[in-house]
Amino acid sequence: MEAAVEVQGAVKSFGLVRAVDGVDLRVFRGEIYGLVGPSGAGKTTLIRMICGLLGRDAGEVRVLGHPIPEGKRHVEGRLGYMPQERALYRDLTVEENLLFFGQLNGMPRGEIRDRIAEILEFMRLSHLAVHLAGNLSGGEKQRLSLACALLSKPELLVLDEPTVGLDPALRQEFWEHFHELKDEGHTILLTTHYLEEAGRCSRVGFMRAGRLQVEGLPAELQARVAQAVGGTPSMEEVFLFFARKGVE
Amino acid sequence: MSAARVWAVTMRVLRQMRHDVRLIAIMLVVPSLAMILFGFSFSGDIRGVRLAVIDEDRTDLTAEIIDSLKGDPTFRVTELPPGQDPEKLLLSGYQAVVRLPDKFTSLYYAHFAMGVATEAHGTLHLWLDESDPQIAAAVRAGVAEALMDIGEGGPVEIEEHPLYGVEVRFIDSFAPAIMGYVVTFICSLLTLLSVVREKVDGTFERLWISPLRRGEFILGYVIAFGMVALVQSGLILGLGKLVFDIVINGSVFWALVCIILFAVGNVGLGTFLSALAQTESQAILLFPLVVLPSVLLSGMMWPLQAIPPVLRPLAYLVPLTYGNRLLRAVMVKGLAPWQEPVGLAGVLGFLVLTVALASVSLRATARE
Ligand SMILES: Nc1ncnc2c1ncn2[C@@H]1O[C@H](COP(=O)(O)OP(=O)(O)OP(=O)(O)O)[C@@H](O)[C@H]1O
Ligand SMILES: [Mg+2]
Repeated sequence: MEAAVEVQGAVKSFGLVRAVDGVDLRVFRGEIYGLVGPSGAGKTTLIRMICGLLGRDAGEVRVLGHPIPEGKRHVEGRLGYMPQERALYRDLTVEENLLFFGQLNGMPRGEIRDRIAEILEFMRLSHLAVHLAGNLSGGEKQRLSLACALLSKPELLVLDEPTVGLDPALRQEFWEHFHELKDEGHTILLTTHYLEEAGRCSRVGFMRAGRLQVEGLPAELQARVAQAVGGTPSMEEVFLFFARKGVE
Repeated sequence: MSAARVWAVTMRVLRQMRHDVRLIAIMLVVPSLAMILFGFSFSGDIRGVRLAVIDEDRTDLTAEIIDSLKGDPTFRVTELPPGQDPEKLLLSGYQAVVRLPDKFTSLYYAHFAMGVATEAHGTLHLWLDESDPQIAAAVRAGVAEALMDIGEGGPVEIEEHPLYGVEVRFIDSFAPAIMGYVVTFICSLLTLLSVVREKVDGTFERLWISPLRRGEFILGYVIAFGMVALVQSGLILGLGKLVFDIVINGSVFWALVCIILFAVGNVGLGTFLSALAQTESQAILLFPLVVLPSVLLSGMMWPLQAIPPVLRPLAYLVPLTYGNRLLRAVMVKGLAPWQEPVGLAGVLGFLVLTVALASVSLRATARE
């Protein structure tokens, strides 16, 4: 299978902190890859490196077949990124934020209008279209931020905690949407703290202290833990198992 | 380079302003207030005005007058042989030309010999660059004083040949300075804040991943702030006309072209400075770096000749020095921009340098 994202031996330190400490990662086209791990594990750092936003101390990164950062131009517009911080223009309205990012990604005017209406509807933001982004609630900002990343329907979506702070009903809908996108052939790399969400990914990687400790199909990982401790472990127990294993 | 993306950035910047009513108010009030408040005269001691003296009479008397001019720190006197065209001298960098004509001395003494009834008296010709009224006033005072020094303060007629025909008042020469100042202020500082905010809020990362080029980003800002600069300049000219009845000798069209060139340089400067600040507070602390030299050293409040000689070289590092010079040449002297090569070269050099630096600093910002 062809890889949408390929990382080899990536290392990045901030002073004495080794935020990413030799990670190899492949995300195949058409899959949803979930990165999980405790806070400070290096997930965001890894993702920003993949997007070419952060230099690295060592290692190789290829996105959609192009080396990063050299081949950045070939990737632009095909990659949708949702940063962990909201990254919106506070002093633009909801609609204007979307319009701007749509125009930057080269969407034709007419199409942008329709697509904005569609995505605002989906995100339950239609009634807020002319409100300033700075005045939105936390969850609303979250949804707008995701909308900005999804707007132009890019091939590869890199989403840093896309569902944090959403109510369960909306999360459910988001995941259905992610699977729709996956079925249309989009690739999604996301991070999450919700372990039941990890179970809905095509593959999961557990990150800890800058390293990718284990990865595999959710069912596979569950089976490995079941073998070690018995019973039918939940994703949460799987997470705790691998997190503890790291300490030993 | 995609026009659609450039335009997207321009419209975004303008929309951001539109939502900020207070900002719009400030953008309109600042130039108005500046024009009105600073419309009052400032004075410093003027030193080192470049004066050319042409002595066609060559007598003890004329030598005495020239010595007296030389002894006056207002002037830096250069004696030139007869036969020079004073107007050309003014265009080539002298700020005033004094000509003591043939027979000056004999007419001067003839007056004393023949008594008060005579028409005869010496005539001193004075050519003046009036585009800076403070300098012109200093030259008049200095020349009058030199004539007093020769004794009786005899009746020497001073025949003035103003270069630009009309009398220029302080306020006429102040409008271009205020325009340059406001554009410096608004374009460089708002760009600086806006770009720093993109970094703080993380929107910059989204831009970096999109197909937007650095050049498009800068051009988008340039167009938005170029429009702002035009509106503000219009406001200043309108107010100047209405409240102070300023005289604009030159072409408003060329003045606006120059102001836009200058605005572009300032957008570049703001973008470049944004690399030095990680937070909005840091950005605000950079403001004096832009504002103080512009106010104090650019020749806006007082002519460069009023700046202590030690600081004068610094004045030539201040962009507004050239902006001022160019705008005054165009608006007050009625010259075309290329007839003020130093000012024009300064403004264009500023533009090229800051836009290049902006481009480099954006690259540095984008990848830590
Ligand atoms: N720009 C930076 N400067 C210094 N240290 C940094 C920087 N970015 C990240 N770090 C450090 O690197 C480590 C990994 O951070 P990272 O944001 O990648 O974690 P994370 O897995 O995304 O955590 P979370 O789940 O809380 O978002 C942390 O210890 C963090 O403090
Ligand atoms: Mg993170």
